[in-house]
Amino acid sequence: MSRNVLMGQYWETNSLFHRLDPRTKIISIIFIMLCFLMLDTIISYIVATVFILAILLLSKIPFHIFRSGLKSMLFILMFTFLYHVVFTKGNVIWSWSFIEITMEGLHNGIRIVWRIILLILLASMLTLTTKPLTLAHGLEKLLSPLSKLNVPVEQFSLMIVIAIRFIPTILQELDRILLAQRARGYDITSLPLPKRIFAYIPILIPLLFTIIQRAEQLTYAIDARAYGNGKGRTTFKQLKFKQMDYQLGGIVIIITLSLILLNIGGV
Amino acid sequence: MVYQLNNVSVNYTDRVALHNVSCTIEEGKWISIIGRTGAGKSTFVKVLKGLIPSIDGDYSIDQQLVQRDSKSQLKVIPDIGYVFQYPEHQCFETSVYKELAFASKMMGHSSQQITHAIELILPQVGLSEEILPLAPFQLSGGYKRRLAIASELMMNPRLLILDEPTAGLDPVSRLSLMRLLKEWQQQDNRTILNVSHQMNDVAEYSDEVIAFHEGHLMEHCDTSTLFLEQGQWLAKLGMSLPEPVQLLKLVEELSGQNIEVASCRERDIFEKVWPILHTRGC
Amino acid sequence: MLTFDHVHFYYKKGQPVIDNLSFTIGTGEFVAIVGTNGCGKSTIAKLMDGLLIPKKGSVTFNHLDTSRPSDLDMIHEHIGFVFQNPEDQFITTTVMDEVVFGMENIRVLREEIQSRLDHALRSVQMEDYLDSMPHQLSGGQKQRIAIAAIVAMRPQIIIFDEATSMLDPLGREHVLSIMNELHRLGMTIIHITHHMEEVLSAERILLIHEGRIEFDGNPLTFFETVDVKDYQLELPFAVRLYQMLYQSTSLMADWKEMIRIQWSIN
Repeated sequence: MSRNVLMGQYWETNSLFHRLDPRTKIISIIFIMLCFLMLDTIISYIVATVFILAILLLSKIPFHIFRSGLKSMLFILMFTFLYHVVFTKGNVIWSWSFIEITMEGLHNGIRIVWRIILLILLASMLTLTTKPLTLAHGLEKLLSPLSKLNVPVEQFSLMIVIAIRFIPTILQELDRILLAQRARGYDITSLPLPKRIFAYIPILIPLLFTIIQRAEQLTYAIDARAYGNGKGRTTFKQLKFKQMDYQLGGIVIIITLSLILLNIGGV
Repeated sequence: MVYQLNNVSVNYTDRVALHNVSCTIEEGKWISIIGRTGAGKSTFVKVLKGLIPSIDGDYSIDQQLVQRDSKSQLKVIPDIGYVFQYPEHQCFETSVYKELAFASKMMGHSSQQITHAIELILPQVGLSEEILPLAPFQLSGGYKRRLAIASELMMNPRLLILDEPTAGLDPVSRLSLMRLLKEWQQQDNRTILNVSHQMNDVAEYSDEVIAFHEGHLMEHCDTSTLFLEQGQWLAKLGMSLPEPVQLLKLVEELSGQNIEVASCRERDIFEKVWPILHTRGC
Repeated sequence: MLTFDHVHFYYKKGQPVIDNLSFTIGTGEFVAIVGTNGCGKSTIAKLMDGLLIPKKGSVTFNHLDTSRPSDLDMIHEHIGFVFQNPEDQFITTTVMDEVVFGMENIRVLREEIQSRLDHALRSVQMEDYLDSMPHQLSGGQKQRIAIAAIVAMRPQIIIFDEATSMLDPLGREHVLSIMNELHRLGMTIIHITHHMEEVLSAERILLIHEGRIEFDGNPLTFFETVDVKDYQLELPFAVRLYQMLYQSTSLMADWKEMIRIQWSIN
């Protein structure tokens, strides 16, 4: 199993989004997401979609990356759609025994799935154009005022870095264990579904064991590297807002406000 | 059992792991697989076990092509034992007994058969019955290693593949493990394929050596022939000679003589080398 | 000067791992610490760097004491630690970030970080790998990056806790030559290992058995006076040759010649 491109991992194309300060991206995305959650009208949805497509184009990231990201969410999307279609009350347009499909249900289902897709695309834009460490720095800087309230911001930041760092390693370990058990004659895919739940035990237990051992070793390594409690560290790479950050920030504010106005106008 | 590869290649998305490899493995031998990291050794032995589903070329056992499924993928071959590097990482059961019984249970063996097999296996790997109720995680490194190897031996394979079985072990555990494996192999004319970086062990225990370089099978011959006669090109491929052989070459150089030895094993080389060192007054 | 003063340590009460251990290691020494698995050598390593604190007795580095929490930051700065598993000490996501991490922790100023970064990577011959990620590196390369990350912090002592035992021969060679080079430049090296050939480069051997020191002296004396079989250790090749010669011919083969042979082989 080759996992060369993990869904959502950094993809270098040196677009303008790659060069933005991570804080700009984080704040903009939060704004845009909040805005999207307020949208109601078809026109505002269409405008929002055009906006997102423009962003995707400008990022110069090949479309199949986004497509495969959405593909893995297909099950959840379908489930959400069906849920709303079947359980929303209103004008029934079709029924079969106790299942009733309403106009409102279809309406809701489409809207919500559409919205989820836009949000997923937006979120992947963040992870695809921002290196994990840069993202962690951005978050750390944004949350730093909280450290005055004794919230351990620096340590959360290190936790995120370590989590990102070890995802490929743990996946490799998982592959290794799967292969080893397969070599012993243990083939998960050949087991019927009900048994499959327990079938993961020979996979998960060794995996958990190595993860815990690894975590223990890591704490020694971090201590030995003089991390202490993480306070007072100097930073090598500095985050500075540039012209383009202010410009993009402005554009985002304009667009989100326009969308909200469109929405209120009931267009 | 004769295992034969004919023009086998393994292509991954980013590189070619094996190029047109052809080779025949006959039973009753200890064969070491050597080569630098990434040369294709692990891929080679994985192909033999059927762990690599798509390969180009033919793989036959006893003149019969190995079974493929409907999509032409190779299936895992159950009668070949395979011990991964750091095999203790795959242990998961709550007791040593259950860990040993794992594969046998899946094959449908009865508890009596399993218990009997366990009783036979434990002494072969130098473990005592006292550890049966313990959890694998409670055992020390060397014992966990033997446990993992023992669970492969439970299936009584005719061919046992080991990927660096002594990796990470201290010298004494290494020595006793190699000796146990040699004894196991010599009983009943079994075959061992041992992927290894430890040249001294290769010289000491193997009958034949297969050398890989960048996905190509470079040589498959007698251990002594390889180390005593073909030493130079090994060095060019970034592999070192076993220490006894290096000593032999050094003494040959210093004394200007050609020294005949029975094999490349330590004892045989020491026997011939010491009189020379003695006469030269060291 | 690193001093152990009557140190006791246990993980579980009643099962002492280190028993009344006392010794001193001076500046610039190259000390090898050997012993079987479970003899306590890895525990000693961690006690040296304040990763573990003695239950009784003290571990001091110059005027710093590992049992004083306020001293720990300085201790970690002055004593570097290379772990056995190359995977478990690579904390960040790229080589550059990894070497910079320790420097940021000890508050090196930004301007100086860049020059120390270049120098550290050059000292382990990994200058071309700035943007590489850990899963793209071999075990030996990861160990070299760990060493670079430590060198960048400018420690006085570096402890290598079985740092070569998970590496292939090429990786081992690289790490050992860097170790020797660092020693040549004045670094105090503490090398914990069970590969006895590696011990020959050291000036001093400490043999640990059941938490106590059984031998403290130079390698030649070690091989002459200690029966390594009692401690489940293996003899380096040349020493085996010497012993075989000695036994079969009662010949006092020249010790130094044997060691020379070992060195010329490696």
